[in-house]
Amino acid sequence: MIRNAHKLTRNDLGLVITFLIAASVMTWLSYSLPRFLPGDFVTATYGSSQVTLTAEQEAALRDYYGENEGFGNYLLRLVHLDWGYSYGFQTPVSALFFSALPWTILLMGSAHLISMVIGFVAGVEAAWRRNRPFEKGLVGGMTVLEGIPEICTGVILLFVFALQLQWFPAAGAETAYGEKVFLAHVLDVVHHLTLPLCTLVLAYFPGNFLLTRNSMMMVIMADYVNTARAKGLPPLRIRYVHAARNALIPVVTRFGMRLAFMITGALVVEKINAYPGVGTLLYNAIAARDLPVIQVVVLMSSLLILAIFFALEFAYRLIDPRIHHAR
Amino acid sequence: MHVNFHATLRRDPWFLSGVTLSALFLILALLGPFLAPFSPWNMDFIPLSPPSATHLLGVNDGGQDIFSELLYAIRNTFVFGVISASTALFLGVLLGAVAGWFGGVVDLILMRLADVLLAIPAIMILILVAALFRPSPVFLALILSGLMWPTISKTIRAQTLNLKQSLHVRAARQMGGGSGYIIAKHLIPEMFPLYLIGFAAKARMAMFMEASLAFLGLLDPSRKSLGMMISYALQFYYMDIWWHWLFPPIICLSLMIMMVTFLAISLEKVLDPRLKESMPGRRL
Repeated sequence: MIRNAHKLTRNDLGLVITFLIAASVMTWLSYSLPRFLPGDFVTATYGSSQVTLTAEQEAALRDYYGENEGFGNYLLRLVHLDWGYSYGFQTPVSALFFSALPWTILLMGSAHLISMVIGFVAGVEAAWRRNRPFEKGLVGGMTVLEGIPEICTGVILLFVFALQLQWFPAAGAETAYGEKVFLAHVLDVVHHLTLPLCTLVLAYFPGNFLLTRNSMMMVIMADYVNTARAKGLPPLRIRYVHAARNALIPVVTRFGMRLAFMITGALVVEKINAYPGVGTLLYNAIAARDLPVIQVVVLMSSLLILAIFFALEFAYRLIDPRIHHAR
Repeated sequence: MHVNFHATLRRDPWFLSGVTLSALFLILALLGPFLAPFSPWNMDFIPLSPPSATHLLGVNDGGQDIFSELLYAIRNTFVFGVISASTALFLGVLLGAVAGWFGGVVDLILMRLADVLLAIPAIMILILVAALFRPSPVFLALILSGLMWPTISKTIRAQTLNLKQSLHVRAARQMGGGSGYIIAKHLIPEMFPLYLIGFAAKARMAMFMEASLAFLGLLDPSRKSLGMMISYALQFYYMDIWWHWLFPPIICLSLMIMMVTFLAISLEKVLDPRLKESMPGRRL
């Protein structure tokens, strides 16, 4: 299986092409959609002024402001991280984006890690103990929780823990002008991270739990699990080494489908908790109609999501050797 | 197909609660304008007044009756979900059946297109389009359904491939039934319960997206929406508005998402044995 994994099959090539097409569609849309907007900067600036522009002057101005920029040039700028200036913040868009990105990666990465690990282990254990009252209650509770969107959990957690109990800060990612030493700083960041993180974990956890439990239920009934049991292997080994490995496959495949929800949720949660990540940047850009920022944030997040998808597809192939043998 | 899925469904508490909630919200969505005591755009009342007999949930910062706003918001979110999910369902079932039935180049092109659309994050396209053009919500719902159909069509395609080999479909073909006839009279009616999973799942996604877009301030501000109400109310978080202004839209939105989640989960549970056999390989 490991040997096969390095060989690029025809199917892998199809996958690469799919993702390349998706990435170019997104790039092209981010280039062309703003160009469909009525009006432009040069007309808006000089249209009502006393200055009458000759055709050459107008063309020169349009060139200067990059309005007739070709797609090739746009791509070059993207690669060089020359993403233009934000109208609202008066800074390069790349600086804004890269100062926001680490916070989002910290928030989403830890939320996914925690909800994946806990959800998976809880799902496996729940399937193992199926039909006990506690397990039934847990599944019911998780189904209800799955129905509560991030907007709602976020606002409720904010209300209870930040405003009523005041255990956690209601905004920000670190204390401003804190000047703290390393450990205190880390604790401060964790303190600020807790609320948005809990919101996201509450949103992602039920899905992971239910998916793992359902796929584990199917796996447990398989003959090879019975064989392992008959061999007298310790239950923990059967559960995790034999069964859970296969139960993981649907969880990974479904992850891609659920990612659309998760991204949307993360945008909203960042805004609710005023966490200075990409979501809040996007929200502020939308509120200020800051088009260059919206354009770049949308494009770059899409490309990042595509990259994650792509990595997942390969992870899936590695987990499930059957795919390689079947095709 | 699955002979007694009706009976199984009727015994499933999740399905029953999902149906009850759907009935409730359908009534609220249909009768909303008649139940609302005031026009939600009427700004004549004293801003930020607490709940009273005339204003059940008080008045917002713009002097509008919150209860009337809530009814209109439920209606808008519900309609958005239904439009988006039914269009996605229509596209998904049609294209899935066509791809499965004709196979060959048609299948290849449609499924490649589906793969590309699956990879593209729908929310990003919606944000870009909504931020640039401020289109009508119906247009956004249609764009969303144009991005959501692939998951449905993959299920339907796999099922079509199975059905294609079944005796009665081969018999119908033998008798001279054309492709259109067989797709319309055999394939689509026979795959009936399968669509419902897709419908519920897509309605869930659409309502969630609508609420999020409205929350992010991307939809028409004069159009009442649950997400927008939450976003506006949150600006006054330091005041005593939590119970009558912030929590009602939150509870309604949660109940609406729950309604479709319960339906999707229970339908999938009941119909899953077949799904599992018929859907090998990757489900992105």
